[in-house]
Amino acid sequence: MEALFQAMIGGLVLGLIYVAIAVGLTIIFGTLRLVNFAHGAFYAIGAYVGLVIAQHIGVGWAFIAAPIAVALFAVLLDRLVLRSFYDKEPTAQLLVTFGIALVVEESLRLIFGATTQQYTMPAALQGSVTLGPITYPAYRLLFAGGVIVMLALVWLFIERTNYGLIVRAGIRDRTMVQLLGGNIRQASTIVFALGAAIAGLVGAAATPIYSIDPGTGFAFLVPSFVVVVVGGLGSFWGAVLGGLLIGELQSLTNLAYAPASNVVIYLCMALILLLRPQGLLGESEVIRQ
Amino acid sequence: MTVSSEPAPAASARSGLLAGDARFAVLCALGIAAFPFLIHPIGGYSTLATQIAIVSIASIGFNLLLGYAGSLSYGHAMFYGGGGYLAAILLLRVSPQHPNLWLCVLGATAGTAILAMIVGAVTVRLYGIYFALLTLAFAQMVYFIVEQAKDWTNGDDGLQALPNALLPIGPWTVDLTTHLPSFNLGPFGDVGELRLWYIFAGICLVLVLLFARMLTRSQFGEVLGAIRENEQRSTLIGFNAPAYRLAAFAISGALTGFSGALRAMFDGSVSVDALSIDRSGSFVIYTIVGGVQTLFGPVAGTAVIMFLENVLSARTPAWRLIEGLVFVGVIVFLPRGLSTVLKQQRDKNPRGLFVRSLRPSNEEPDALLRPGGEGRKSGPISIIETFKLGKLFGHFAANHDIDFKVDPGELRAVIGPNGAGKTTFFNLLSGTSAPSSGTINYKGRDVSRLSGTSRVHLGIAKAFQTASLYPDQTVRQNCRLAALARVQGRFALQVFRRSIRLDDVDNLAERAMARLELLDVADVRAGDLSHGDKKRLDIAIALATQPQILLLDEPIAGMSKDEARKTEALIRKLATEMTVLVIEHDMEMVMGISDSITVLHQGTVLATGTPAEIQANPRVQEAYLGGHSEAELAH
Repeated sequence: MEALFQAMIGGLVLGLIYVAIAVGLTIIFGTLRLVNFAHGAFYAIGAYVGLVIAQHIGVGWAFIAAPIAVALFAVLLDRLVLRSFYDKEPTAQLLVTFGIALVVEESLRLIFGATTQQYTMPAALQGSVTLGPITYPAYRLLFAGGVIVMLALVWLFIERTNYGLIVRAGIRDRTMVQLLGGNIRQASTIVFALGAAIAGLVGAAATPIYSIDPGTGFAFLVPSFVVVVVGGLGSFWGAVLGGLLIGELQSLTNLAYAPASNVVIYLCMALILLLRPQGLLGESEVIRQ
Repeated sequence: MTVSSEPAPAASARSGLLAGDARFAVLCALGIAAFPFLIHPIGGYSTLATQIAIVSIASIGFNLLLGYAGSLSYGHAMFYGGGGYLAAILLLRVSPQHPNLWLCVLGATAGTAILAMIVGAVTVRLYGIYFALLTLAFAQMVYFIVEQAKDWTNGDDGLQALPNALLPIGPWTVDLTTHLPSFNLGPFGDVGELRLWYIFAGICLVLVLLFARMLTRSQFGEVLGAIRENEQRSTLIGFNAPAYRLAAFAISGALTGFSGALRAMFDGSVSVDALSIDRSGSFVIYTIVGGVQTLFGPVAGTAVIMFLENVLSARTPAWRLIEGLVFVGVIVFLPRGLSTVLKQQRDKNPRGLFVRSLRPSNEEPDALLRPGGEGRKSGPISIIETFKLGKLFGHFAANHDIDFKVDPGELRAVIGPNGAGKTTFFNLLSGTSAPSSGTINYKGRDVSRLSGTSRVHLGIAKAFQTASLYPDQTVRQNCRLAALARVQGRFALQVFRRSIRLDDVDNLAERAMARLELLDVADVRAGDLSHGDKKRLDIAIALATQPQILLLDEPIAGMSKDEARKTEALIRKLATEMTVLVIEHDMEMVMGISDSITVLHQGTVLATGTPAEIQANPRVQEAYLGGHSEAELAH
């Protein structure tokens, strides 16, 4: 029973990471129609920037520097490379962003080495919290809470701001939004930077829990794509539902039969794609890509 | 009848694709023979040369799918590794004392072909990222199964130190590990460094290149390209698009499996790495770097990257970064791959992989409407007839209770205010979308459950509201494709013959172009036509399928007055030979050419009658108020 509960909290934490990456993927897809395979790289860059800052300056600064650095990187990438791929086949986008992911991963390997690294939290955050029969590391719970707050802010951004309106309208009909006004360009840049910053922040914040190596970004990316497909491409709540579902599924399978934990999410995705190709909460128009 | 511009002498018709193949094979063989010696001075070695030759086969297979069918698979490792494991298991389980290379490699190839057909049956319905992710998912499942089936596969450790399989050829048994006789070539190394394996792998590669060349130039390749360019149109001229995509997937998977099996036999080992995501990714990299949609691109890409991987990795830790930069650089600056630098490719399909292509889609109903009106009684003789036909989109009935009947040879106009459900009705008739209720009888046979593709072959063809063409092909080729579908049927695994040799196809296409007065522009790229010509070409495509009923959805919409009158006259002429159903808003045309008119209103039939009856019908006038004025209707 205790193991089950542990696994469920573990699944929640893992699921929230997926949600954070998947939300970025989804809003970027919605606004830019870009299938971004480089999104995992944002996570990894954030994690390494966080690592360096945390080790040399302080953990608090890491949480500020990581998203900013990643957002800047994303804007640069957008301007230099990706801009010309917005109107191309999803397949071409997939390929170019896959290439970028490769370059980032190998650059990180050259700079930081291939070994797994981690930074430790200040003593205040190292303790455990006892909830009834369960003790659980305090930082993980704090992390989960932090991600939920961040997601709430993203939701407010999408639902309550003008940029969010463009995001939502773009998911439904991008051409129409383009026809209606000129600032979709600016909105695209902001959304792209925002999606990247979320991934970067989560990368920095998750490093004490999951540690980081150059391949981690890609390792988180693939399940995040599964999450997006399961939840429905372009849907915020789809990303949330899909992320929690996949996180829990993976964690609980790990408890029940560990070797299957890596395959069960693909099985889940295959079933969803066959039975409900637009995803659990997706809109059917988005599927024909 | 006009003569085709394609010279098709009767004598060469038999030899088909074989012309030029011998020269091609010889050139390939020379290149492959020289390769290990050319890379020797820059650090290459014989084992690497053999591995490159073997893996190139997988890249060619991958490119058939990506380049020619337009599907990016991110799971080809399942075939590569699958082939390797199958060959190794065959080797270990079936008479390990006398291992036979043919048995292992061909058995494994057959096995992966079956695997590809099973996976393909599920995946070919998806496109783009969904297709890529689903193939990835299957690859991960195969990885997992292989890793867990430890009794057979030895789990994570893989199958190592496999016995050497021999190659029986006629009375001889060849040991491929034998070295060639020594012969020193100075800076280019020594012939004796090579084993017979390289010759065997080289022969396999030449055969695969020949096969790929033939396939891409064959009728099969032609149809595959058409489906890639416009799947919606291809389906509605009578090609079974999923079957083509499946066949391409199976061929691609089998070639990749063949390569994996050879590699396992050559290395004498196979491990789960051969099934990994990274492996799948490597085929993507090889092919893109070398050049998609080219024959030698995948081979060149494989050679360059594998060379970097093995030679550069010994010199600098940054080799993977260099590989990544090369990959991104190629995509951004040379979207058609490195091989285009060496040889200017004929720009047959300049937009290639990197544009959005048209997918089949259901045209949605135009506007909201509510039930109303009444059905119509039906008589005995009719070519097409519907009973209580209905279509629901969610809870919204775009069509309901449509009873409709057309006599053979009739020219029937279907009119109605915007949102009356006219296009939806045509989609139901053509099979683009399936009815929610009711039946459609064509010549007395219930066709409601048949696909659009099947209905084309029965004689129901459609021209779209927005012309659906192959923009990168000539007008002639657009019509030829439709004629080809008529001549060959829904699906033909015709990989050895070019359709250029089919006179019937040319004749049908010529006739269709002549009837729509498109012969002057026969060699113009369809995408460059004027609006009016595009609309007429769309009708010509439908006509080239030899329909008995032609469905025309707003054939003159957007045309100038002159063009419209010209097209109207052409339609009138067509109607003397076949049944024509036409949706049109232009009342002048409707009243002028129709034998009879059906008015749709709010998703169902409001009235049917002669033009005069319809003009006099007060309910029709009422329905049209606000849409079209009475004066317009009476025009």
